[in-house]
Parts: sequence; C-alpha cells; structure tokens
Amino acid sequence: MTELLKGTLEGIVLAILSVRPAYGYEITARLREEGFADLAEGTVYALLVRIEQRGLVDVEKVPSEKGPPRKVYTLNAQGRDDLTEFWRTWSFLAERLERLRHDAGHPQEEGT
Amino acid sequence: MVARWIETLTGSLEQKRQYRRAVARIEALDEPYRGAAKAVDRYLTYAGGFTDGDTLVRMVADHADLWERAALDGTPVRAVVGDDPVEFAEAFARAYSGKEWIDEERARLSKAIDDATGDAGRRTEG
Repeated sequence: MTELLKGTLEGIVLAILSVRPAYGYEITARLREEGFADLAEGTVYALLVRIEQRGLVDVEKVPSEKGPPRKVYTLNAQGRDDLTEFWRTWSFLAERLERLRHDAGHPQEEGT
Repeated sequence: MVARWIETLTGSLEQKRQYRRAVARIEALDEPYRGAAKAVDRYLTYAGGFTDGDTLVRMVADHADLWERAALDGTPVRAVVGDDPVEFAEAFARAYSGKEWIDEERARLSKAIDDATGDAGRRTEG
C-alpha cells in the first residue's frame, strides 16, 4: 500500500460511512469493489479501531450467531466534521497538483 | 505462561483475567489462524511499548475478536495481515492510543523545541 493511499484511507472510510452505517467487513468489501483490491482486512480493522478511539464513529455491537459480536459503525457529528475537513484538504491538494502538472507541461501519462 | 512484565502491567485481577481470556481464545483457534494470531499477538505485546494495562487488555481482546471472526468467515490469513505483517501489526498497535514510555520523551522533545524557539508550535511567517 502506497503512503499516498495510506494517508487517504481514513477519509475514504469516513466517506463510505457517510452514506450509511456499515459492518467492518462491509467496509472492506466496498473498498475492494472500488478497486482497492490488495487491502488487508486487518488494516481496515485497525483503522476502524482508531476512528472509534478518536470518537468519529458510534459503534453498536450486534450479537452474531457464532463468534464475537459484529460491530456496526455509524458516522457521528465529529466524524462528519472530520470528513468535511478531509474533502477540503483533498480539493486543495488535487487542484495544486493539477496546476503543477500543467505548469510542468507534463504529458498526460496513462496508468502511472 | 504470561511474561512477568505483563503480570506487572495488568494490575487488577480483573485485568489479568481479561488478558488470559484473550490469550486462551487465540490458543483455541484452528490452524493456520492460531499460529498467525499468536505471532501477531507476540509482536503486539512486546513491540507495542504499552505502559498501561487497560489499553493492552483492550488491544489483545480486539485482536482475538479479529481472528475469531476471520476463522469463522474463512478469511485467508494473508487477507487479514496483507503483504506486510509487520506494517499491519504496527498499524494495529498504533490504533490504541495507550500510554507508551516514548510519550514522555515526545512531550519532552516538543517542549524543548518550544523553549528554544520561544513559541508554542507556531512558525512565524518568514
């Protein structure tokens, strides 16, 4: 996983949760659908633990037929604020990088 | 067999019980989950640098949850830890904002730089 992806993963997960609450494994599945194919389940799990500790999500434990209860993650007000801030940073970065690429007269390379 | 420092760290009887329960849950897993989980667990407890028992206990319990879930769902070990198990274990440990011995040093370094620059983390526009 590149450093760039690692830095944006939290924002991506918050964005997924802003649509609707989800179980941990649903989040991993969504990420895989979105093309983050080689994402380790444990990485997402660790990230969910972190955003829970930081109070960005509310967590509800749902008993499961077998094994430990499954956790449902819901984005809360603080998480929404964080997500807004993430998109602001993202827009700023994307715009600056595009401008840099343009100024450098870089040929539009595909798939790098 | 729990290492002596863990015995010291997990202060209350209740903490010790919870810690042992998490370790027992990992021991009860089928292979290859048991071997993988034990290896990660070892790394987490020794390299996590925890100085407070609550955080350590919460982490090992969550870690046992993760593997029990994976074993029940049939998630391959590699899909859980990814290409780099060390990176995974470190990300996992970092998610628990427990007190680490290094915290004191971090605070000390930040303060020393604040003192040296005469501000509190603000750079003057140059």
